[in-house]
Amino acid sequence: MSGRSLDQSTEAFDFIQELDRLATSDEIVDAMERSFARFGFENFIVTGLPHPDQRIETLVLLKKWPLDWYRRYTHNGYDRHDPVIRLCRQTVQPFEWDEAPYNPETNPKGAAIMHGAAEFGMKQGYCLPIHGLNGFEACLSMSGPQLDLTPQTKPALHLMAIYAFERARQILAPSPQPNPLTAREKETLRWAALGKSAADTGEILGVTERTITAHIGSACQKLSAANKTHAVARALQHRLIEI
Amino acid sequence: MTSIQVITKDNRTYYSDVLDEYFHLRHKVFVEERGWHDLRRPDGREMDAYDNDHATYLIALDKGRVIGGLRLYPTLLPHMISEAFPHLVKERGALTGATILECTRYFIVKERRTGRADCRLLAAFQQFCLEEGITEVTAVVEMWWLPRWHQAGFKVRPLGMPTLVEGQPCIAAAIRIFEESLERVSRLASLRGSFLSRDPRVSSDRDRVPHVAA
Repeated sequence: MSGRSLDQSTEAFDFIQELDRLATSDEIVDAMERSFARFGFENFIVTGLPHPDQRIETLVLLKKWPLDWYRRYTHNGYDRHDPVIRLCRQTVQPFEWDEAPYNPETNPKGAAIMHGAAEFGMKQGYCLPIHGLNGFEACLSMSGPQLDLTPQTKPALHLMAIYAFERARQILAPSPQPNPLTAREKETLRWAALGKSAADTGEILGVTERTITAHIGSACQKLSAANKTHAVARALQHRLIEI
Repeated sequence: MTSIQVITKDNRTYYSDVLDEYFHLRHKVFVEERGWHDLRRPDGREMDAYDNDHATYLIALDKGRVIGGLRLYPTLLPHMISEAFPHLVKERGALTGATILECTRYFIVKERRTGRADCRLLAAFQQFCLEEGITEVTAVVEMWWLPRWHQAGFKVRPLGMPTLVEGQPCIAAAIRIFEESLERVSRLASLRGSFLSRDPRVSSDRDRVPHVAA
């Protein structure tokens, strides 16, 4: 037994060292495929968890999923009902797919999703939720027809999954976006957030109301906001302005 | 505006109120919230053998109130990993050195966990260690902390395998101290300038680190 667990820790440490040398997403997928296959895994996905106004396919960093299943999953917006995704949002601990509960009455699609995955050979699974700073949420979920999940293998997988996720994020996730707003746009939105009209703000900053309206228009465009209120809400939500 | 105060044996008498509030909060966070009942104390102040003259505290203060903190301790002295968690280290034996500190009792109070307080404390931690010439900091943390450190731009290497501590998967890990991590965490939270507050009366940590194990 101790020999076995020694193997697992060596496997995990070698994998983590290897990740540092990888430069492309294809190389990461290959390395994950090789290392996770030893535990019975065939498929995996590394993705951010979508907000209500986001689509999951825009957040997927890496995937090795049967293409037909991926199409079905994204086309039907399964992430809204997937019991695994739901549990991901509620726990910081990794879990096996069959630990993700779903009530057939309140979430009828939950059963359909789990059965659908099983048809594509994704019968059992293991999922690592990521809860980062500033509300960042993501996961690495992996699966196979028959997994070697034991109290000995799970710690190694847990560690490997965290580092695989990090390498994928480093290579693929855009670095924190620089603030797209100019100093004047930020100032204008800050005054708007404090309840000032464009005319008030113009007076405070010593420019015309028209100039303020132009700043707000340009901020709306950069933030894909429908109006001033929407722009203020977005700017606060993404911490682009502070009040 | 949150600032991070450095407190050592040299200036702790000036901050006795702050430290008192800090030890009470440790009790609230680690005993009452996290359920580490072995640490429970009748006076409601969580203190242990490492709260001594060798400890350095970085304490997050907002409008005079403590909202978080961490403790740094020299690894050349018996420290938590060497005494309580040697089995968490793969090579058996803690990572020690004159430029290596151990970080323990990291927390942010519950009501401030959604904001940027974590980033500020992490940034102050890198800045303080850079200024002190520290190269690495070891810690035992729950696993879910690793992605948070990663996201903050910290270079973290595992020192052993995840192991259950108090029922939670934890790991011994070493954080590399370097400029780029400070820049990354500052950028992540749009932090500008320094908010690390140090007293002239505090001597450099390096002077106080013994060069042989006691």
